[in-house]
Amino acid sequence: MNIWIKILYAVISVLVVTIYGLTLGGIVRKIYARVHGRYGPSVWQPFLDIIKTHGKRVSISHGYMFYLGPIFRLAGGLGTYLFIPVIFGSVVFSNFSIAGDLLLVMYFIFFGQLGMALGAGEGGHPYSPLGIARGLSQMTAFEVPFSLAVIAIAIQYNTFNLTTIVAAQQGSILNWTLFTNPLAVVAAMISLLGMNMHPPFSIVLAPQEIPIGPPIEMNSSFLATLQTNRGLFTAAKLILFMNLFFGGATNLPIMIIKTFLIYMFSVFVGASFPRFRPEQSMRFFLKWPTLIGVASIIFIAYF
Amino acid sequence: MVNPIYILTLSLAAGFLLTLIDKSGRKLSLTVFYGILSLNVFIIGEWFYRLTFLNTPTVIINTAGFSAPLSINLQLGMQEAFVLLFANLTALLSAVYLFKKFKETHISGLILYLIMIVGVNGLVMTRDLFNMFVFSEILSISTYALITLTETKKSLSAGFKYMIAGGIASTFFLLGVTFIYYFTGNLNLDFIHLGNFSNLGFISIFLLAIAVFIELKPFPANGWALDVYEAVDSGIVSVIAVVNSAAIFFVFYKIMPILPQNFLNVFGIAGVITFFFSNLMGLKQKNAKRLLGYSSIGQIGLLVASLIFTMHLPRSLMYLIVGGFFFNHLIAKAGLFWITGIVKKENLKDWNVLKNNKPLLVLFGILLFALAGFPPFAGFWAKWEFVKMLVHGKMFFVVGTILLGSLFEVIFLFRWFTLSIKGDEKTEHKNISLELSKMFPTTIFAGITILISVLIMKFFYDFNWLHALPVLAVLIINVIDFLPSKIKGILSLAAVLTYGYLIYPLESNIQLFFGIIFIIGSAINIIGTLNRKGKSEGFYGLLLMMIFSFGNLLVAITYLEFFLSWEFMTISSFLLILRGKKAQKASMLYLIFSTAGAYLMMVGFSLAPDLVSNSVLILSISNVSLPIAATILLSIGFMIKSGSLGVHIWLPEAHAEAESDVSPFISAILLKAGVFGLLMVGISYIKHTPSFDIFYWIGWIGVLTAIVGAFLASFQEDAKRLLAYSSMSQVGYIVASIAILSHLGWLSAMYLSFNHMMFKSALFIAIAGVYYRTHTRTMYEMGGLIKKMPLSFISVLIMIIAVSGVPPLSGFGAKWLIYSSFIEKGWYLQAGVLFFASGVSFLYLYRIIHTIFLGQLKYEHQNVKEAPIWFIIPQYIFIIGIMAISMFPNLIIQPLNSIAMRYFNSSIIIDGYTISSSLGYWNGNLVMYVTMGVFVVPLIFLMLFNGRMQKVKQFNIVYAAERPESPQTTHVAHNMYAHYRKALGGWGKPRIWDFWHEVSEWSHSLADSIRQLYTGNGQTYILHIIMYVIVIYFISGV
Repeated sequence: MNIWIKILYAVISVLVVTIYGLTLGGIVRKIYARVHGRYGPSVWQPFLDIIKTHGKRVSISHGYMFYLGPIFRLAGGLGTYLFIPVIFGSVVFSNFSIAGDLLLVMYFIFFGQLGMALGAGEGGHPYSPLGIARGLSQMTAFEVPFSLAVIAIAIQYNTFNLTTIVAAQQGSILNWTLFTNPLAVVAAMISLLGMNMHPPFSIVLAPQEIPIGPPIEMNSSFLATLQTNRGLFTAAKLILFMNLFFGGATNLPIMIIKTFLIYMFSVFVGASFPRFRPEQSMRFFLKWPTLIGVASIIFIAYF
Repeated sequence: MVNPIYILTLSLAAGFLLTLIDKSGRKLSLTVFYGILSLNVFIIGEWFYRLTFLNTPTVIINTAGFSAPLSINLQLGMQEAFVLLFANLTALLSAVYLFKKFKETHISGLILYLIMIVGVNGLVMTRDLFNMFVFSEILSISTYALITLTETKKSLSAGFKYMIAGGIASTFFLLGVTFIYYFTGNLNLDFIHLGNFSNLGFISIFLLAIAVFIELKPFPANGWALDVYEAVDSGIVSVIAVVNSAAIFFVFYKIMPILPQNFLNVFGIAGVITFFFSNLMGLKQKNAKRLLGYSSIGQIGLLVASLIFTMHLPRSLMYLIVGGFFFNHLIAKAGLFWITGIVKKENLKDWNVLKNNKPLLVLFGILLFALAGFPPFAGFWAKWEFVKMLVHGKMFFVVGTILLGSLFEVIFLFRWFTLSIKGDEKTEHKNISLELSKMFPTTIFAGITILISVLIMKFFYDFNWLHALPVLAVLIINVIDFLPSKIKGILSLAAVLTYGYLIYPLESNIQLFFGIIFIIGSAINIIGTLNRKGKSEGFYGLLLMMIFSFGNLLVAITYLEFFLSWEFMTISSFLLILRGKKAQKASMLYLIFSTAGAYLMMVGFSLAPDLVSNSVLILSISNVSLPIAATILLSIGFMIKSGSLGVHIWLPEAHAEAESDVSPFISAILLKAGVFGLLMVGISYIKHTPSFDIFYWIGWIGVLTAIVGAFLASFQEDAKRLLAYSSMSQVGYIVASIAILSHLGWLSAMYLSFNHMMFKSALFIAIAGVYYRTHTRTMYEMGGLIKKMPLSFISVLIMIIAVSGVPPLSGFGAKWLIYSSFIEKGWYLQAGVLFFASGVSFLYLYRIIHTIFLGQLKYEHQNVKEAPIWFIIPQYIFIIGIMAISMFPNLIIQPLNSIAMRYFNSSIIIDGYTISSSLGYWNGNLVMYVTMGVFVVPLIFLMLFNGRMQKVKQFNIVYAAERPESPQTTHVAHNMYAHYRKALGGWGKPRIWDFWHEVSEWSHSLADSIRQLYTGNGQTYILHIIMYVIVIYFISGV
């Protein structure tokens, strides 16, 4: 295929999903507000926020790494998304998944996190590294059940190829990993709670202790870049989960419904539980979800 | 040709005449004295030459005109001549050493000395048992008297104890002689045969043998000897410990043919036990001379054991083993005793006066390395062959005891050595006076030690000259040591490249691959050392020695060549680490673990079947089926070197305390030698699968090393320790991948080895630069250095991305390969642990870059400059390397694929830039382009739309209602992952460190409690001897 057409498709794909992700973010804010007993902002608020922060009169930078931090972050989100085949059978939404398999996606997630952590670090504000130290620690913990689930899937489908994994789940709802390998799905869904950083795992942004943590020094366009990424990156993660565990999607509406429902799991838990302390969060992930993950591997490999 | 009897008569005559001669002045008597001693050496030297090289037949001298057994006969064969030459030479040199003393002392001192030599010479030559008794009495009496020449209370009491012990031994001897005469009617060794004895007659032999054996100071009946070693003047004690011991040892050798085998076995075991316990007790010893005493006694035990256990071997091999131990021990011991007399410090801690005295330090070093049995000295070859022989004889218990004893010996000897070089600065530095009379003999003996090493390497083994290169490098650099460091550095760089060119036509790709890591990697790292100022004396010699040893591992053909290079590598790296400012403990820890590993490997190689082809070892090993025990031992040996979990505790210390431009070599290259070794074991293993899957367990150790190393790294405050633990973790991945024993596994292992070599070199060099500018390794004392050292920051940034495995850099390739290979193999849980380790690695990677380069700049670093250019160059060379293989993974994957295909069927398909395994695919090139795309687009966007951006100063941050006070209170760095430590709870305890600490404590306590045996009371010592005789009597089952 012509590389320019490929790039054009990728741009379309990115735009669609970014808009979807931001809207989703708006909806979720509304839901949280209602749970808290407020009316809440409009669902378009994330878009308005981006425009507003972009338009700030003052923009401050602490150095070149600080400048690059948000770019790393957005590049991480873009890359992660672009390496995932979004809609099964769609040419436009197949992205650059020919570049690598599931492992590539998993590791590309770190690209943005690491870059952002470095940029925030140069900001020199103590809350940034505090948030990052928490975030990285929590990440090591929730990655354990998630990677165990991924291993279980790799055993089950004998591949790391995302398209093949989605293909294997077609035909009937009973072919979904959710039903063929439920333990792995449970482990992964719990780690999704950590990934999305909703309560009880909101130790990174923790508004009351280390007000919003890592991005505290980020302002104007830098912040806008991060906000854009938040929409895209959240959607990318949800799509990955959908592909791995919930049969993927054969068209856009299905994708939207499935990812919305997956996200609601995080939102539901987030709205119901208070925040852990950092060490509680890590212990949590390293105990039951990890054991469930191990059980899923044993179950799928030996039974 | 002078009749050898003259060496007896001349000394005896001179001895009696000296009183007269002395009347006309001490000068004349001294002339006569030294004349006689020299003449002895000359006469015996000539005989030795004739007997050895001209094949003159053994000389039998009949005294009193009758032939034996009617008269006493003396015999001078090659063996006698060898021992005599050695004894007389030592006696002469000791006399030279004692020159000052002899000038002042009463004439009786000279006389006694000559008489003692008569005793020694007579003992060695005589074949008559009673005559032996006479000479041994002459020897003993003169020795007691000589001991008391040092007129201190201690030496008087020591002499008295010596006399009592000698008296008891003599009594047994005489009883034995009497009974032997009763049973055989004969006292001449040539006429006594085992067959002549009845059952009862064995008692007579027993008495004779035990008398000689007591004189050889077996544990625990040897307290009397220790006291003598400690109390007496160094010149005298070297004669007692060396010349006398040699003579008595030879007496034992002479009576061996009439001893029944069960006696010999008991004595052999007793020798081994002596060796073990003496060295164990040496651990607690703080007095230099007493420490040498323990070592002496132990070595004599080993010598006896080696003699007994090698009797049945071919002569040349027996000479190598027994002769090797004999020479090595006695020469080194004499030399070291002399040095204790020059330094005149009793407590080991005061020996740091040596630091400022290079000539003496060199002599001390040579003799100490020789004594400890390191190559190229005689003891090394003897030990190698001896262990091989014992292993073939399935005497594993003996091997274990000897090697453990040797390990103890290495520990206490090198504690002494490292204290001498790096001891506390507190003690006063008085310059040691180097008197010629004392330095001369010591130098001669050090020279002889080296000469013998050369002879063995050249004539016994006929090594390729390449294997002498590591030692030659040290010597050559030593000669040009007056040059400035930079010139030597450039010469070394040239030497390394030339060496690479010399060995270049390698037989296989696997050698080439490791050659690139070892040689090219080292060459680039040498650039970093060019920043050294001054002369850096000795540094480049050791560095070249290490690099050449790496290379020699690749071209080694036999097990011995491989092991030799391995030991050279250990020695040189140990000495390099020791150069660090506070490296005394670190280098000791390194040496102890390395030596233990080397001993395991020695046994492992001894168990290995003979090689069948003449190719290099890494190739020919594939035709050899290693027994399971050899596989295990070798693997442990190699895993110690690569810092696997459980035996890793040396690693952080050594990496951190070595000089900062040495650490990259240790981490990035030295650890790969362990990897190379483990691959070698694997190559043999895959071709001949044994019943027990040892590599499964090695795999587990590897993954656990990876996770534990990553956690430990995250909790460090010291940048170099952090990197060290990171190396441990990364090498854990490599070890685990090797253990997979599949194409993809080995591909991953080699890929990661290469990658690790580059990123860890660059990281260590970057830290070297930071340390050079800030003079601290403690990370929380830094911060914000990105503003001052941008080039170093970029390098660290790229390298940590490469470590972490984040695409698009080469680290991801490693992760992709590793996970694919683990899943393919079916090691699922192990893969899970590796995922965890890989996550944890982000903790320490972020920590090192953040706490040093990001956050708040400290006031004291406001004027810090970028790292020197010599540190920047190698880093950027490595960056180019990393970028190249990230952009074009085929550059590395393709050659590695072909290497691994030699051993397994290929499991990957390379199509353009896409690499597919049975599980997935990865196109590194496309990933790179996509990443560049997604990075550049937002960058351009931001640059276009964020034109109003302004830069602000350090403290201009959004700080809620308060003002940041100082960088120290604003920089988050210290104990950064406290919450994780809390989360880990009991899992965070340093259990392995505690374990080894306990091992050390227990061995020292054990040593201390056994040492209580030696009360210093003469009566107790007599009791020991008597009880010892009784016990041996019952065990021998006479």
